[in-house]
Amino acid sequence: MNAIVGVSLLVLTPLLPLLLAFPALRSRLPQPCYIALLPAFILLLALPQGASIDLPWLLLGSGLGIDSGVGRLLLAIAVLLWMVAAHLLHTAKDEPADDRVTSYYLLTLAGNLGTVLATDLVGFFTFSTLMGYGFYALLVVGGDEARWRAARTYLVVLIVADLMLFEAVLIAAAAAGGLHFEAVCQVVSQSTSPGLYLSMVLVGFALKAGIWPLHFWLLPLFRASRPAVALLLGAVPIATALLGLVRWLPLGEISLPMLGLIIMGAGVAAMLYAILAGVRQAQLKMLPAYAAIFATGVFTTAMGAGLGDPDAWNRYADFAYLLIVSLGLGVALLVVSIGWLQARPYSPAMPEKQAADSAPWFECWLGAIARWAVQMGVDTLPRLRAAWLAKVGALWQAARAWHRALDGGERFLQRWVCAVTLFLLLGIVVVFIA
Amino acid sequence: MNWGAALPLFVLASSLLPGLVIFFLPEERVAIRSTLNLVGAALKLVLAGVMVWGIFHGSHFETRLPLLPGLDLLLRADPLSMLFVGLSSILWLVTTVYAIGYLEGSPNRSRFFGFFSLCVTATVGVALAGNLITFLLFYELLTLATYPLIVHRGTEVARRAGRTYLIYTVAGGTLLLIGTVWLYTLAGTLEFTPRGFLSTLDGASSTALVIIFVLLIAGLGVKAALIPLHGWLPQAMVAPAPVSALLHAVAVVKAGAFGIVRVIYDVYGIQFSATLGVTLPLAIVAAVTIIYGSMRALFQDDLKRRLAFSTVSQVAYIVLGITIVGPIAAVGGLVHLVHQGVMKITLFFCAGNLAETLGIHKVSEMNGVGRRMPWTMAAFTIAAFGMIGVPPLAGFISKWYLGLGALDAGQGWVIFILAGSSLLNAGYFLPILYAAWFKTPADAWPAERSFGRRETAWALLAPPLVTAFLTLAVGLLASAPFSPLQWARFITTLEYAE
Repeated sequence: MNAIVGVSLLVLTPLLPLLLAFPALRSRLPQPCYIALLPAFILLLALPQGASIDLPWLLLGSGLGIDSGVGRLLLAIAVLLWMVAAHLLHTAKDEPADDRVTSYYLLTLAGNLGTVLATDLVGFFTFSTLMGYGFYALLVVGGDEARWRAARTYLVVLIVADLMLFEAVLIAAAAAGGLHFEAVCQVVSQSTSPGLYLSMVLVGFALKAGIWPLHFWLLPLFRASRPAVALLLGAVPIATALLGLVRWLPLGEISLPMLGLIIMGAGVAAMLYAILAGVRQAQLKMLPAYAAIFATGVFTTAMGAGLGDPDAWNRYADFAYLLIVSLGLGVALLVVSIGWLQARPYSPAMPEKQAADSAPWFECWLGAIARWAVQMGVDTLPRLRAAWLAKVGALWQAARAWHRALDGGERFLQRWVCAVTLFLLLGIVVVFIA
Repeated sequence: MNWGAALPLFVLASSLLPGLVIFFLPEERVAIRSTLNLVGAALKLVLAGVMVWGIFHGSHFETRLPLLPGLDLLLRADPLSMLFVGLSSILWLVTTVYAIGYLEGSPNRSRFFGFFSLCVTATVGVALAGNLITFLLFYELLTLATYPLIVHRGTEVARRAGRTYLIYTVAGGTLLLIGTVWLYTLAGTLEFTPRGFLSTLDGASSTALVIIFVLLIAGLGVKAALIPLHGWLPQAMVAPAPVSALLHAVAVVKAGAFGIVRVIYDVYGIQFSATLGVTLPLAIVAAVTIIYGSMRALFQDDLKRRLAFSTVSQVAYIVLGITIVGPIAAVGGLVHLVHQGVMKITLFFCAGNLAETLGIHKVSEMNGVGRRMPWTMAAFTIAAFGMIGVPPLAGFISKWYLGLGALDAGQGWVIFILAGSSLLNAGYFLPILYAAWFKTPADAWPAERSFGRRETAWALLAPPLVTAFLTLAVGLLASAPFSPLQWARFITTLEYAE
C-alpha cells in the first residue's frame, strides 16, 4: 500500500501543477497555487523512507525518485519557497490580477518539482526546460519595457544553455548507453576524453545559474522583477542549475586538478566581485542579486575543490546541497525582508540617476575609460560606438542583401525550371554517352 | 482473392470510391458528402489498423495485378509502408473534419472533396507500392490530384502557384520516369526488396547506377522540397488551409521523402548506397536544406509562408537521418516522417483558424491573439515548441535520435547542424509566441467573425487540439509499445539486420 501511495505521490507532485496550469481544470478550485503543492507536501510528511519509480514507457525511459536525506530536504525547501511565492503573488498590490500569472506559476512549479525528483538526465533536462520557459512567461507577463528586455536576455541564455545541455546529454548517452545519473557519472569518470561533456555541462549550467562571469542576465532581471518573481529567481533557475551541476558531473569520481583550480579561481573571483559590488550597491532590491552571485561563487569554489580532490568531495558533498538550500532560503529571506522594508513609508527612495551613479567603478569601467579618454582629448567611445553601429548596420545590410539574392535565386529557378531540367538531362546524356 | 490480397485494395478503395461518388454529388448535398468523407476516412483508419496489427504478427498483405508484360501493379504492406499509411490515415480523418468546417458555405465543395479523396488514395498507393512502377503511377496521380486543390480558389495568385507546382512536379516526374526505365533496362526488375535489389546486380557500371540515383533523387526531391527544388512549396501556400495541411504534412512532401527512403533502402540498399558514395552528398544537401529553409523562414512575415519554409527545413531531417547511414539515425529520420506531419499539420490548422476567424495572415498581425483564441494558440504553441525540439514533444525525440545516431556513425558535424537549426527554429517561432501571448492586442482584428462564446467553430478547433495532443503524446510516450518510435525501430532492425 505504501509503495502505491508513494509512487502515486511521486507522479502527482509534478503532474498536478501541470494539469492545474490549464485554466479550465482549475476554474472551480479555490487557491490552486496551494493545492498544486499538496502532493509534494504529503510526500514529505507521509513517506519517511525514500521512494522511486521507473517509467520505461515515458519519453526515452525515465524515472522519478526521492531519497530520505538530501532529496527530501531539497523538496521541503522548494515547497516552502513556492508557498511564500504564491502568497506574494496573491497579495501583490502593484500588479494587476491576471489569470495567466497563475498558469505560468503552476508550469514553473511543475518543472521545478520535477527537477528535484528526476533520476535521469533527460528527465531533469525536460523538467528544467519546462521550468525555464514557464519562468520566462512569469517574468514577462504584465511587465514593462525594462522587464521585457531583461526577460529577452534570459530567454536567449536559456536557449543557448539548453542547446549545450542537449549536446551534453547526447554525448553522455552515446558513451554510457543509459541516462541515469549514476550510470552516466560512472562512465564519464572512466572516459579518457570527458572534456567535451564536462565543458558543455559546466558552461550550460553556469549560464543557467548566472555564475560569474556569466551573470550578465541576472542583474537586470533582479532589478526589473516584482518580489514574488525575484524570490523565485533564487529558487528556480539558480538553485536548480546548481543542483544540475551536482547531479550531472561525476564529482567525487573524477580527479581533474587543473580544471578544479581554474573553477576555484572563478569561484573566488565571483565572491570578491559580489562583495565589492554588493557593498557599493545603493539599490536595496539589488542586494539579493549580489547575495546570489556570492553564494554561487562559494558553490563554484567548492565544486572546483571537489573536481581537484574527489575524496574531499565525498566527505563534504552534503555541504554542497546545504549550500544550494541556503542559497534559496537566503535569497528568499532577503527578497521578503527588502520587500517589507520598501513597503514601509520611511523607506528611502533612490532616484534613478543616483542609483546609476552608485554603481561601482568596475561595473562601469567602459564609461570610466571613455571619460578619461575625453579628458585626454581622445574621443574613443563615440568612435568605437560609431564603428560598432556601422558594423551592425553593415551586417544587417549584408543579411538583407543575402535575403534579396536568395529571393532572386528562387525566382530564377521558378522561371527557368524547365530549362534547368532539360540542361540537367542533357548533361546526364552526355556523361552517359561519354 | 483471399483476405490478405484484398486488404490493400480495400484500403485504397476506402477513399477512392467515396471520392468518385462525391464528384457527382450536387453542391447542396452537404450531409451525404460529409458522411461519405468521414465514413471513408474512418474505414481507412480501421483497415490500416488491421494491417498494422497483422504485420506485427507476421501476416502478409499483397495484391498483384498484371500491368505490362513483366511488370505488375503491386501493392504490398510492409513495416515501412505501414508507417506512412498509418500517418496518412490518422491525419486524413482529422483533416477531413477540418476541411468540412473550413469550407462550410464555400463554392465547389464536391469538386474539392472529390480531388481531396483522390489525393489521399494516391498517397496510400505511394505508401503501399511494392515496386517502382506502381510507385511512379501513384506518384504522378498525386501530382494530378493535388493541382486542382492548389488552384481551388481560382484567383490569379492561386493559378500561378498551381502552374509553378505543375511545372516542378511534372519535371520531377519526368526525371523519375527516366531513372525508372533506365533502371529496369539494367536490372530487369523494379520490385522493392529488403536491403535493395541492386546490391546483387552483376555487370552494371557504378557510374550508371550513380546517375540513376541522381535522377531518382532529383525526381523525388522536388516533392520532398530539397533545395534547389523547393521553389513550388512556399508559393503553394496560397491554397486553402486543409490543402496546405495535406501538402505539408500528409501527402505531397511526405511522398517525396518516403520515396527517397524507398529508393535508398529497397532499391539500392543502404550499405550499397554508402559503397557507391551517394549518401554523403545527399546528407550534405539535406543539411544545407535544413539551414537554408530555417534562414528563409526567419524573414517571412506571412505566417503560412514562414511555415512553408519551415517545412522545407524539417522534411530534410528525414533525408538526413537516412543518409547518415546508421541504425540510430535512421530511427530519427523515419520517426520524423510521422512527427513532422503531426506537428506541421497542427501549425497549419492553427494558421487556418486565425485566417478564418480573425482574418490574420501575417505574423505582424498576431499581437495578443493568444487572449482572443487561447485554445488555438495553445495548440500552436505546443507544435512550435515541438518543432524547436523542446522536450518532451515529438520534435525532441526526432532530434535526439538524429544526434545520437550521428555520434554513433562518427558524423559529429550533424550535431552542429541540429544545434544551428534548433536555434533558427527558436528564432522564427518564439517571436510569434511572444507576440501572441504577451503583446497587447490590436483594437480590432483584420476580419473578425463571431462564433458566439466559442473562439471559433468546433470543426476548426477540434482538429488542431487533437493533433497538438498527438504531438505531446508521441513524444511523451515514445518508448511505449506501438508508438511511432517503436515502429521506426522495428523497420530499422529489419533494414540493418545481417
